[in-house]
Amino acid sequence: MQIFKEIGVLLNKELKLEWRNKYAISGILLYVGATVFIVYMAFFEMEPLTWVILFWVIMLFASVNAITKSFTQESKKRQLYFYSLVNPTALLLSKVIYNSLLLLLISFLIWGGLSLFVGNMVVNVQPFLIAICFGSLGFAVTFTFVSAISAKTDNSASLMAILSFPLIIPILVTLVNLSKNAIEPLASEGVQGDVTMLLAIDLIVLGMALLLYPYLWRD
Amino acid sequence: MKKIIFLTLTLNLLLSDVLFAQDRTPDFMRSVGKMYVVVAVIVAVFLGIVLFLTYLDKRLTRLENQIHDNDQKQ
Amino acid sequence: MKNISWWKWLGVILIVYTFLAGMLVPLGHGIVEINPRSVKTGEQAQFTLVGYNSHYEQDKDGLRAWLKLDDEHAIGAKEIRVKGDRILELDFDIPAYLPVSKRVQDFSLILDSETDGTAVLPTAVLVTQDSIDEEKGVSAWKNSAITGLTVTTGMTFPFRAIIYETIRNTYFHVALWLSMMLLFIAAVVYSIRYVRDPQPIWDSKARAFTSVGLFFGILGLVTGMIWAAYTWGKPWSNDVKQITTAIALLVYLAYFILRSAFEDPEQKGRISAVYNIFAFVLLIPLIYVIPRMVDSLHPGAGGNPAFGSEDLDSTMRMVFYPAIIGWALIGAWIANLQYRMDAIREKWIENLD
Repeated sequence: MQIFKEIGVLLNKELKLEWRNKYAISGILLYVGATVFIVYMAFFEMEPLTWVILFWVIMLFASVNAITKSFTQESKKRQLYFYSLVNPTALLLSKVIYNSLLLLLISFLIWGGLSLFVGNMVVNVQPFLIAICFGSLGFAVTFTFVSAISAKTDNSASLMAILSFPLIIPILVTLVNLSKNAIEPLASEGVQGDVTMLLAIDLIVLGMALLLYPYLWRD
Repeated sequence: MKKIIFLTLTLNLLLSDVLFAQDRTPDFMRSVGKMYVVVAVIVAVFLGIVLFLTYLDKRLTRLENQIHDNDQKQ
Repeated sequence: MKNISWWKWLGVILIVYTFLAGMLVPLGHGIVEINPRSVKTGEQAQFTLVGYNSHYEQDKDGLRAWLKLDDEHAIGAKEIRVKGDRILELDFDIPAYLPVSKRVQDFSLILDSETDGTAVLPTAVLVTQDSIDEEKGVSAWKNSAITGLTVTTGMTFPFRAIIYETIRNTYFHVALWLSMMLLFIAAVVYSIRYVRDPQPIWDSKARAFTSVGLFFGILGLVTGMIWAAYTWGKPWSNDVKQITTAIALLVYLAYFILRSAFEDPEQKGRISAVYNIFAFVLLIPLIYVIPRMVDSLHPGAGGNPAFGSEDLDSTMRMVFYPAIIGWALIGAWIANLQYRMDAIREKWIENLD
């Protein structure tokens, strides 16, 4: 059970690091607030479908911003130090867990912000909560893994966008499909299929990331 | 629901094609049962393969030149 | 000639076979159009029919036609007059009441010819009811059962309205696209081998197969757009499959951008191999699952993105499957040239030091 201990320690480290550099998290908060306000200024009133799509678009850009720094914030030397100490799976898992919690927080903030300015369009809370939870997990795994790849290059920020946007589309499409059920008073029978599909994609991506990361990290 | 949308879509396509076919003679591409569309597709595939071969040819020439220049230096 | 491997010859033979069979086998008997498209109940309707690849003059006595409502309800033609090899005049007695409660009911036309086989035109005629009485329609219905349809034995490709001869594009557009998938799978296999055992040859093979796959993907998109322009009306209709293919191509373009970001060949090979495997796994839901969730103009949409048994008959299969293998082998040949070139460069650089 060495690995759980390692994950715990690494998770603790991530949290402390985030707490000390408050600019990163406050930057994201400001980003979410500003985007929601701009969206409000641009639309004032919107259709429920537009609301859902805008929610996920804001979420997409906020998550890219939040996760890009995952592997670049620490210096190469310090990373080498981590690698000599811990298991690569533990390192990736701790980052994935931390990032999905962060994304969950961001998504609730976006939901709150949109409800405050534009109004809450979510009628069925349950499918929307499922979408937010699995969406955060899927975004976190994909973006964390892609940021691990792009951190190896010199201009990681632009490569992050190029690599991750096409890859995230399957998850994004499923999320929008699932959230469409949340804005209609009567949930259609497609919810079950969408949830299974989303869970399957999340698990496959997580499995692949855990399987491939050991080959990626050594330099 | 999906089925209905799909059916109306195909129905629309079908009807519009037939309606239009009545008051206009088929153009070149649509003549002979749209056979020339197949010809266009095959020409596109062939041109694509030729373009790819040109790209390969360029890379090969570059490699040849590199090797040749280096041999002369020695 | 001897130094060319057997599989390259096989690829050439399969492609030549695809071209010959794909272009020479004629289309089956079909109905291009029927006029008028809509009639009223109780009418003695007279239709003019234009056939495709038909020989009505030879088959004056063997012609039978029905207007079909569903499996239990069909109206037989009262009289069929042959006006030419491709033109028929059909007389139907439309009953006064239909056994349905709808105001407008569509009928499909079934035409059976002893020489040419059976042709079907779906939603051929719309019948409008002035007064609706379902019970009367059921009780007064004189059904003429559709039986003894001719089974033709010759080699023909199925006739489809709007598509006509372009059904042959299946062997170029669809087969090219499926062989692209085979090439991408080959690239992933070589990427996995590189990750497990970092030999430069595996990386250059993975790169070569990915580049040919990308090339086939672009060809598939372009040929699809040409085909769509004359069947769907415009080259790009934001169909799911068009969009997912474009995304898949973006994913693989990103692969080449990622490769160009590294100097060190070992790091380049390792990281691009990892990305290739990861991207391929994410492409599976993109290409195979999302098209099943959304309506598409592609055949078999709304449930199944692949060709169903109705779209691909046994004659087409005999050309279609060899075509996929043939295109994949031609692609493998092009990839083969590329990685052999890489090997020469590798060797030359080694000898320099």
